[in-house]
Amino acid sequence: MKVDQGHRLLEDLLPLPNTAGSRVNAHHGEILQGVFHDGERLRRGLVTLPCPLYNTRATFMPTGDDGVTVRPGWRTKATRAAELTLSALGWPVPGGLLILTSDIPLSRGFGSSTADVTAAIQAVVVATGRTLPPAAVAKIAVSAERASDSLVYGRRAVLFAHREGVVIEDLGQDLMPLEVLGFGTSSHGQGVNTLDLPPARYSSWEIEAFRPMLGMLRRAVRTRDAYLLGRVATASALLNQRHLRVPQLDDIIRVARASGAAGVEVAHSGDIAGLLFPASDPATADRVERAGERLRRLGITETWRFSTKG
Amino acid sequence: MRSVAPSRSIVEATQLPRLIRIGHNLHVAAFGLMKLLPARYMLDRAAERGELDWGTTVLETSSGTFGLGLAIVCRLRGNALTIVGDPAIDPGLRRRLNQLGTRVEICEDPSPEGGYQRARLDRLAELRDEHPDHYIPNQYGNPDNPAAYSVVAEQLCEAIGPIDCLVGAVGSGGSTIGTSSFLRLVSPDLHLVGVDTPGSIIFGQPDRPRILRGLGNSLVPGNVQHESYDEVHWVGPAEAFHATRRLYGRHCLFMGPTSGAAFLVASWWARCNPDAQVVALLPDEGYRYLDTVYDDEWLRAIDLLDAPLAPEPVEVAHPAQELGGWSRMDWNRRRLHDLIGARP
Repeated sequence: MKVDQGHRLLEDLLPLPNTAGSRVNAHHGEILQGVFHDGERLRRGLVTLPCPLYNTRATFMPTGDDGVTVRPGWRTKATRAAELTLSALGWPVPGGLLILTSDIPLSRGFGSSTADVTAAIQAVVVATGRTLPPAAVAKIAVSAERASDSLVYGRRAVLFAHREGVVIEDLGQDLMPLEVLGFGTSSHGQGVNTLDLPPARYSSWEIEAFRPMLGMLRRAVRTRDAYLLGRVATASALLNQRHLRVPQLDDIIRVARASGAAGVEVAHSGDIAGLLFPASDPATADRVERAGERLRRLGITETWRFSTKG
Repeated sequence: MRSVAPSRSIVEATQLPRLIRIGHNLHVAAFGLMKLLPARYMLDRAAERGELDWGTTVLETSSGTFGLGLAIVCRLRGNALTIVGDPAIDPGLRRRLNQLGTRVEICEDPSPEGGYQRARLDRLAELRDEHPDHYIPNQYGNPDNPAAYSVVAEQLCEAIGPIDCLVGAVGSGGSTIGTSSFLRLVSPDLHLVGVDTPGSIIFGQPDRPRILRGLGNSLVPGNVQHESYDEVHWVGPAEAFHATRRLYGRHCLFMGPTSGAAFLVASWWARCNPDAQVVALLPDEGYRYLDTVYDDEWLRAIDLLDAPLAPEPVEVAHPAQELGGWSRMDWNRRRLHDLIGARP
């Protein structure tokens, strides 16, 4: 079965018509990551920045065989996700062939692994003619890969408990469209082995510090104010410096200020970061240009650009 | 998100301030009893760390609303509480403490150095020995006091957005230091204005008896990080009391004199900076002061009813200089000894 190439404008998670495939976009690090009170207890959580620059496509073809075979064969988390999905659906088919095509760079904070897993789950759901609510997809994704981002929610702004696969808080609407100037933050550009990182240990003051950030983020989403969102992203990047250091972060924040960016956003487990700009502002194009020049002067030459709307 | 669930306690129900816009660029955060917040938070954290159990006696020195906040939190938790105070504890507050099951000890004589504050701390040291299983919240030095104000910063960020200036009275340093440090995470340029009173040594004045209570101190609390303040005002009783009455008469906000002092400074600051978003912290309600600040006879008896009021603060060059009434200086985030070491 061939993946249809002609549906770029469809919502991220809509199955492509007439195929048994799915497509899940990458993300680009996190706007906010930390520990949050949900009224009862503390939960680790994050708010993802969607990135339509890359995606994973998955196709699932039921066969008579037991179990799932994946191609390429090393994407074993996707196999596990497909099998967990079949199990959750009550084994409508005994197994099948899962084909993944992804152009998402690995180990850098683009969420390649979550995209694979989420696409695999969606592909199985589509191929078997069934449906699963996003919450169920998220749960399966976490079971398949220990920690998972909220890719299943697309552009919807949710505070997501990435180790439990549940939404801590739905911020009520989609993120406002953003223009992002992305860049690599390590000299080698080879990424970080995210699964080797221990979960950050936050002090009790740091745990409290996530409250004003979340308060400001709620307002940013509600008022669709990219500048407020940028403040939150910068604050989260600074607070998490102690846990995964982004080289030259202070210089990068100066670049953001000098070039009129809304803020700096980083991968809290990865080696990419981005300067955020409001997509709707006519001045953004010039500002992105100038910011790129300033980053080059810091020695940051590996840059890319995307709009969260795709 | 809108919640219709009932609160689990009066503390949960009332610990957050009401945010009210009283001018085009001026909001107030009006607390019923601000000290509920640090009292609740300090005891919660202590319990988490294993320093406070159900049988632990809580000991603290306070002559003001922190004692009341602790008394409410301890009553709900079931912990015994002893408060060491000085004669400034008014009879109404004392009755309320007693009815909440709090033991109140009064130090009748000030210590030659450090005044009542020192005498209270000395008595506290004795009580510590009498109660082997005790917990002392120590609002002046406990970092959980400022940390308690994260929820206020969250509320301000969500309701108002970026804030340019925060004005608050300084007693323990908890509310101004805590709220400003959390706000500065997302509003890094926040201008912090501390409101003190002449004769309080927090910002370098020589110690002397003060009529205006609820702000200022005879000791410099560890929680006051001087290098966080951009500007300091000293407000005397006349301006504070009249501002308290104006806050009620004009805006119907029935608050205590500490709130009046913060309101006075915040209104002035908001007038001088019409493009800045200003928030004032108002720490408690007016009921405790019905027979004092809200009573003309009482004001007349201390010659403050028709006292001349400064329309604006007098600029001072050095924090230790003799102050007439309302005064201010640009503190510029300096440490105390940077200024006190440098007498003119």
